[in-house]
Amino acid sequence: MSNGVIITPGLAHGALRRPEPQHDVVRQAQAFRAERRSERVRALVAIAVMGLAFLTVAGQLLRLAMQGQSEQRISINAPLATAFARPDIVDRNGRLMASDIVMHSLVADPHVILDQDEIADRLVTVLPDLDRKRVRNAIADRSKRFAWIRRGLSPAEAQKVHDLGLPGLDFRPELRRAYPLGRSAGHVIGLVDIDNKGLQGIERYLDERKNVEPVHGPSLSVRPPLRLSLDVAVQFAVEDELAEAMRRYSAAAAVGLIMDVNSGEIVAAASLPGLDPIVIDDRFDKNRIDRLASGTYELGSIFKTFTAALAFEGGVDPQKRFDVRQPLEVEGYPIRDLHPAGRPLTVTEIFLLSSNVGAGLLALNDGQQRQKAFLEKLGLTTPMSTEAGNVAPASLPGRWGDIETVTVSYGHGLAVTPLQFAAASAALINGGHRVKPTFLRKRGRSQKPAERVISSETSHLIRQLMRENVASNAGTGWRAAVAGLNVGGKTGTAEIAGIGGYKSKSVIASFIGAFPMDKPRYLTLVCLFEPQGTKETGGHITAGVNAAPTTARIISRISPLLGFLPNLEHTRTPDVGDRRFDGPRFPQ
Amino acid sequence: MRILLTVAVAMTLGSAFTLYAVNYETRGLADDVKRREKSINKARRDIAILKAERAHLARPDRIGRHARALGLAPAKRGQFATYSISDPTGRRVTRRPGDER
Repeated sequence: MSNGVIITPGLAHGALRRPEPQHDVVRQAQAFRAERRSERVRALVAIAVMGLAFLTVAGQLLRLAMQGQSEQRISINAPLATAFARPDIVDRNGRLMASDIVMHSLVADPHVILDQDEIADRLVTVLPDLDRKRVRNAIADRSKRFAWIRRGLSPAEAQKVHDLGLPGLDFRPELRRAYPLGRSAGHVIGLVDIDNKGLQGIERYLDERKNVEPVHGPSLSVRPPLRLSLDVAVQFAVEDELAEAMRRYSAAAAVGLIMDVNSGEIVAAASLPGLDPIVIDDRFDKNRIDRLASGTYELGSIFKTFTAALAFEGGVDPQKRFDVRQPLEVEGYPIRDLHPAGRPLTVTEIFLLSSNVGAGLLALNDGQQRQKAFLEKLGLTTPMSTEAGNVAPASLPGRWGDIETVTVSYGHGLAVTPLQFAAASAALINGGHRVKPTFLRKRGRSQKPAERVISSETSHLIRQLMRENVASNAGTGWRAAVAGLNVGGKTGTAEIAGIGGYKSKSVIASFIGAFPMDKPRYLTLVCLFEPQGTKETGGHITAGVNAAPTTARIISRISPLLGFLPNLEHTRTPDVGDRRFDGPRFPQ
Repeated sequence: MRILLTVAVAMTLGSAFTLYAVNYETRGLADDVKRREKSINKARRDIAILKAERAHLARPDRIGRHARALGLAPAKRGQFATYSISDPTGRRVTRRPGDER
C-alpha cells in the first residue's frame, strides 16, 4: 500500500521476479485485511455516534415542535408597561385642555445611600411639602434597590434636588398629565391615576376607546388629539358668571350648561364648586360633586314647559282658559299658587305666571299615563350617558297616581339631573327632534334625521311661550332679557326636600333658556343652589330675581363669542309680548 | 487552475473587506438614526411642555385679568353702529355690522 502497488494473492503466487517466501506474503495480506476491517469498524462506530447525536437533536426538535409553545413565555406588553401615553384633549377650537408632558420622578436606591437621615433632612429643605418621616421609612430598608420618593417633579424642583448632589438618588422621566386650565371643566375632563390611566370623565373615555397605549419609557402619544365640543372661552365665561352669582346671591353651589339645541354638542358645562383634575382631595369633597350629571334634583317650575308641551300635543289651544281661582284638591292634598291670579287663566298665562294649579289642571286633563309616556319619550326617565360617564338615573315617584301627576307637572316628586333635563328640553325648543348630549365635537357628519318626539307646531308654541315669558312684563323671566338678542326661557324655584318636608327657605332656583328664539341655536340652563335673599333681590329667593339675571349676564357675555352680534331691534319693551316673534334676522 | 485560484482568493479578500466596510457604515448609520430619534423625542417633549405652558398662560381668566387691567372690556351694544351704503340701484340703505353676512 505504501508504495502504491496493489498486491493481490494471485500476483504474489507467480508474477513476482523476486519471489519472497510465500508465508511472508500471506502474513502481510492477512495483516492488511485485518487493518482494513478495524478501520471500517471504527468508521462505523463514529458514524453511529454522530448519527445518534443528530437523531437526538432531531428528536428533541420534533418534541418541541409537537409540544407547541413552551410554558415559559416572556410577554412585554401591558403588565410590564410602566405608564400609558395619552393623546391631547383640545376644545372645539383646538385649544389645549389636557396634555402629556415628561416630568422627572425622584427615586432612591436605599442600598447605596450613605446617610438616610441626611437624605431625608435635606430633601425636605427643597421639597417643603414632602413628609420627612415617610421619606425616611421609604429608604429605611437597605436590602432594597428601589423606592419612589416623589413622582412628577417640576423641572425647577428636579434641578434643586439635583443640585443637592446626594448619592443614592436618581431621576426617572415619566409621563404626567398636565391640565393647563386648572379647575376649568374639571368635572368633564375627569382624572387619571399615577400611571396615567384614565379613571373618570373624558380621560376614562379615552381609555375605553383604546386611544391610550402602554409604554415603557416616557414616549409621548402620536395619536391625534381628542376634540371636545366645549369652548374654553365660553366655559370660562360661564364659570366666572356662576361664581359671581354664587357670591352675589350667597348660593351654596351653581350649575351652568350651554348646549347646541340641534346637535346636542355641549359648549360649556360647569358645576361649582369645581374640581381640579390633579387635586385628589377635591374628589373626596362632598361639596364638589358634579351637580350637572351626578346629582338628581326636583327642579320645580321649569318642568312646566313639558306640561305645556304635552297639553299642546293633545290639541289644547294656547288661549283655552282654565279656572285656577280655587286651590286644587287632589287626593286630599291642596295645591295652591303662591300668588293666586283670581281669574281664569289661559294656557299661555298659566305658563307666564307659573301657576301650579294651572299646571296641575293641564296634567290631569292629559292623565298620568300620557304624562308618563311623554316624559319617557323625551328621554327624561330613561338611562342616559355621555362620553364623560353615566348620568345619574332619574328618581321616579314610586306610585304614579293623580297627586304625583299634579306634582310632576310643576317639577316636584321627580328628580333628574340638570343635564338630562336640558337634553329633554332641547327637543321642545329645536323643532321637536330628540337630542343626545355629547361632549365631542361633531363636524360635517351627515346627520341622519333625528327621531321626532313632538310636532314642530308644539315646539313653535313652546318657543313663543318662552320668548313671551322673557319679553313681556307679565312673565316671570323678564330679568333674563338681553338687549339686542331675543332670549326666551322659564324660571323654576324648587324647594329642597329635607327631613320633615320641603324647606321653604332652601331652594334651587333655575332658569332654562334659549337664544335666539326665532331660530334657536343654544340652550342655557342655570341652577343656583340655596340662594339667599339680598338687598338687590329685595329679599326674594325665587329664580326670577337670581337665576334669570345670571342667565342674562352669561348670554350677553357669551353671545359675541358664539358669533352673535346685537340686533338693535331687540330691546325689551313691554309691548313685545303682544308682537310675538318679530323675527330678527341674525347671522346664522 | 492557478489563475482561477488566485481570482477566487482575491474575490474572497475583496468581498471580506467590502462586507466589513458596509457593516461599519451600517452601524454608523444606525447610531445616527438613534441619535436623531433621541433628539426628535427630546424636541417633542419640549414642544409638549411649551404647548402646555402656552395654554396655561393663555387661559381665559389670566387674559381677562390683563385685558381689564389695560382698560379693555367686552364689546357693548352701543359700540355697534349702523352705516349707509349705496345698493346696486343707487339707493342709500342703512346697514349694521353683521348684515353683510
